[in-house]
Amino acid sequence: MTDNWPAADLDPVRRLRVLAASLRFPVYFTEIVLPVPLAQVWAVASDLERELPRCLPTVRDARIIRADGERLELLANGTLGQRARFDVVLRPGWCLMRSRFVLGAMAAVPEAGGTRFASLGGFRLPGMRLAGPLLTLAGDRAMRAFTAHPALTRSAAAPPE
Amino acid sequence: MTFSNRHEDLVLAAQRGDPMALGELMESLLPYVGRICGPIALQDGPDAAQEAMIKILRGIRTLDNPAALLGWVRVIAVREAIRVASASTNARTAPLDEPPAPGDPELAVDIADTLARLTPRHRAVLVLRDIEGLDEREASQILSVEPGTVRSRLFRARSSFRKAWNHD
Repeated sequence: MTDNWPAADLDPVRRLRVLAASLRFPVYFTEIVLPVPLAQVWAVASDLERELPRCLPTVRDARIIRADGERLELLANGTLGQRARFDVVLRPGWCLMRSRFVLGAMAAVPEAGGTRFASLGGFRLPGMRLAGPLLTLAGDRAMRAFTAHPALTRSAAAPPE
Repeated sequence: MTFSNRHEDLVLAAQRGDPMALGELMESLLPYVGRICGPIALQDGPDAAQEAMIKILRGIRTLDNPAALLGWVRVIAVREAIRVASASTNARTAPLDEPPAPGDPELAVDIADTLARLTPRHRAVLVLRDIEGLDEREASQILSVEPGTVRSRLFRARSSFRKAWNHD
């Protein structure tokens, strides 16, 4: 009888809210609604090799060095010569990436008028509780750069006839 | 859902604060949490599941015995579902002795309709007894009520279902 009982699920954005509320180190977390469909948003967001250097000024280049289904390994080189290897889980609407010191995540779901997009970032370093304002600054800057992508603007959603 | 070695590995890694393990543990537990929160919190099910998962992941460090994971998760999910559903204005239900609206041919819709006529606490008893298969004593411990209260809530909840099934 209980096979037909209603079950609750969490969409990717809700899952990211859970993660943001559960982590033991301070994170930047924000949500916005973009005026374009989910597929369009995710085509940009999931292009990690192109978007990470474009949105994060400290990343010079990023390269996927191994792919096994939704699990990837990504190597990022920084503008100051630093290198970081990321374990990545990437699937439609969800991306979680972790290096030794950095955590990044994105999630997206369709919403009336476009797509709800959530982003999370944080440093897994001792003493980062004091760096909250810096984290906010960096997160806001990355989000502004991401949303400035030509494919994510209102004009991209409704091209003139 | 049964506890596996994979769960144990994930719990230990999550207790060390590994974000990937927290994410994987969430995905692994969500179907179970959703099956508990859905029937108790109904339209507030996603809110209840979200709150329950936050409590679970935040509290994972306090879980001494990883093998006790599912029982511990069940307690949190049931209590959060009752709390969220009771706090919601949508928790106002019709009296138990009122029969459900007739005639919907979809079984799932009938079930949701009948569940909606029960209070969250009655729905929790149904979930613990009929989905989780717990006995009265175990259900009473999770709900912090006397076994007799579980018995009477179960009787009222089941009779509401019987009325729904027999109603033409």
